[in-house]
Amino acid sequence: MAKQKTADGHMKSRSHTMTILAQYFSNKAAAFCAGVIVVLVLMAIFVPVFSPYSYEDVDYTALYATPNAQHWLGCDAAGRDMLMLLCYSLRNALIVGIGACAVQFVIGLLLGGISGYCGGRIDNLLSRVIDIMYGFPTFLFNLILVLLLGRSLFTIFFAIGLTSWAPMARLVRSQVITVKQSDYVEAGHALGASNTRILLHYILPNCLGPIVICLSQGIPAAMFAESGMSLIGLGILPPMPSWGGLITTGQQFILSYPHMILFPALSFAITILAFSYVGDGLRDAFDPRQIG
Amino acid sequence: MFKYFLKRLGYMFLAVLVISAITFGLLQLAPGNYLETQRLLEKTMTDATVSEQMKEAWEKFYDLDKPAIYRYGKFLVNAVQGKFGPSYKYPTQNIEDIIARTLPISARLALMAIAVALVVGIPLGIIAAIRQNRILDRIVMFVSMLGSSIPAYVLAVLLSWALGVALHLLPVIGWGAPVNYVLPVVALALGPIGTVTKYTRSTLVETLNQEYIKVARAKGGSFFQVTFKHALRNSLIPLITVVGPMAASLTVGTVFVENMFAIPGLGQYYASAAINRDYPMVMATTVIFALLVMGMNLLVDFIHAFLDPRVKKSLTQKGG
Repeated sequence: MAKQKTADGHMKSRSHTMTILAQYFSNKAAAFCAGVIVVLVLMAIFVPVFSPYSYEDVDYTALYATPNAQHWLGCDAAGRDMLMLLCYSLRNALIVGIGACAVQFVIGLLLGGISGYCGGRIDNLLSRVIDIMYGFPTFLFNLILVLLLGRSLFTIFFAIGLTSWAPMARLVRSQVITVKQSDYVEAGHALGASNTRILLHYILPNCLGPIVICLSQGIPAAMFAESGMSLIGLGILPPMPSWGGLITTGQQFILSYPHMILFPALSFAITILAFSYVGDGLRDAFDPRQIG
Repeated sequence: MFKYFLKRLGYMFLAVLVISAITFGLLQLAPGNYLETQRLLEKTMTDATVSEQMKEAWEKFYDLDKPAIYRYGKFLVNAVQGKFGPSYKYPTQNIEDIIARTLPISARLALMAIAVALVVGIPLGIIAAIRQNRILDRIVMFVSMLGSSIPAYVLAVLLSWALGVALHLLPVIGWGAPVNYVLPVVALALGPIGTVTKYTRSTLVETLNQEYIKVARAKGGSFFQVTFKHALRNSLIPLITVVGPMAASLTVGTVFVENMFAIPGLGQYYASAAINRDYPMVMATTVIFALLVMGMNLLVDFIHAFLDPRVKKSLTQKGG
């Protein structure tokens, strides 16, 4: 554990979390991208509140408008303000990303945890289930689930979460198996700790690192899946905007009004990139050995 | 080892069976059907309505008057023989003929993308590893991060704008001439290039830190001799393992890229089948995609075991 001198000269040990945070912020690119994400989240929340336009407002005098003083990023074919469309796309993508990760987290933790902790026949069965999920063409399964459940923001992130938990489950399983064999868990058993207590207080905290990494990489993956579904025409229902939808409509106008496709593509790329860098930064922070 | 792979093959077919059953079940449960979506579409164009007689004949044609379990059984029996019957949208064509026509296009795109990724990614990875933590390494790693995290179709958009619209170098749309392959393949390849570069760099860096490399250097091996003859050989074998997942993500990538560039590949047929609720087509393509993804992974593991005796040993020790 890292030691630090406090003002009165005593040695103070830094907590595990602080060590990881310090490690994370020593990576400049990752720290910068964390800042970008904070800005993006604030934009998704506050720009719609302060903007004079809503994503549904149609301005017939500004159809296909290129960027100008009134519409900073121009307008789309229906005269809707591009900046608002992008902010709402961002908002939807964040909801889908975080929601899908929550679903993935719950399912993965439950199945992986049970499988790893119980072992034996249950483990064998659940491992086969996880294997089959791995083989599933995930994206196609998403589309089928959306056909089944309907097209709303909630069903979309639910569908994405429901198809993407296999890596999480496998990770939790292997992590639980490793931790289960350690001496302090045995000591816990010897001291009479219940199974629930062992799972929650002994094993879960030690699985947290890999889980955080897995989740942080799951957010951009879910955003990618959602935009892909919108691109195909089975994502978020219009008029609610989504990057995938904006990119498909924008493509029809790529020759005459390139701003209609460039802004969505660029903002989506920046968002995904920021999340990926944060995910990589977290991975390096939790496991400094991997830095090469 | 062959016993192990036979077992894997068995599991694979079992998994495909489960996948097809789940897909079929979910499609049965899904509200709405093909006729309804078609009627909604057609109402906007003509006033035509579907007569009861027509509907009955249609249902009979596709066995929809029989119980679902019968249809699933029939699907399985036919699928084993490589037959999928007519689709809803194209009643006069058999799905297997559509697949035979469109799958090669998608496969060619994906294979070309993998080839480009290996040809470009491996040298980039080597450069990055040799110049580790220098400015050149940083630039290469940033570019590969761009490639591997941004979705293929966003790159397709940016590329077709930059090369097609702004610079007038390549056609943005159209299909048939070899030049039409350039943008889709590049868009598909950028992600894999990033993955290959990162992977080559990290394995090569690891190998260069091994003891036997130090020995080779100490014995007077030149920089190039050591890097290319001793280190590179050993670091390229694990690269095979990333090709499997890469092929899987490329199958999804082709769905998007084919839609963006209006390429008549299987991916585009899948997407339109899902939107139109063309269930026979959805079933057939799902099974084909699942087989492709899992078959690719199996093949990759097989080649890996074949090339690396350590992997082979670990597989047979696991209980063969």
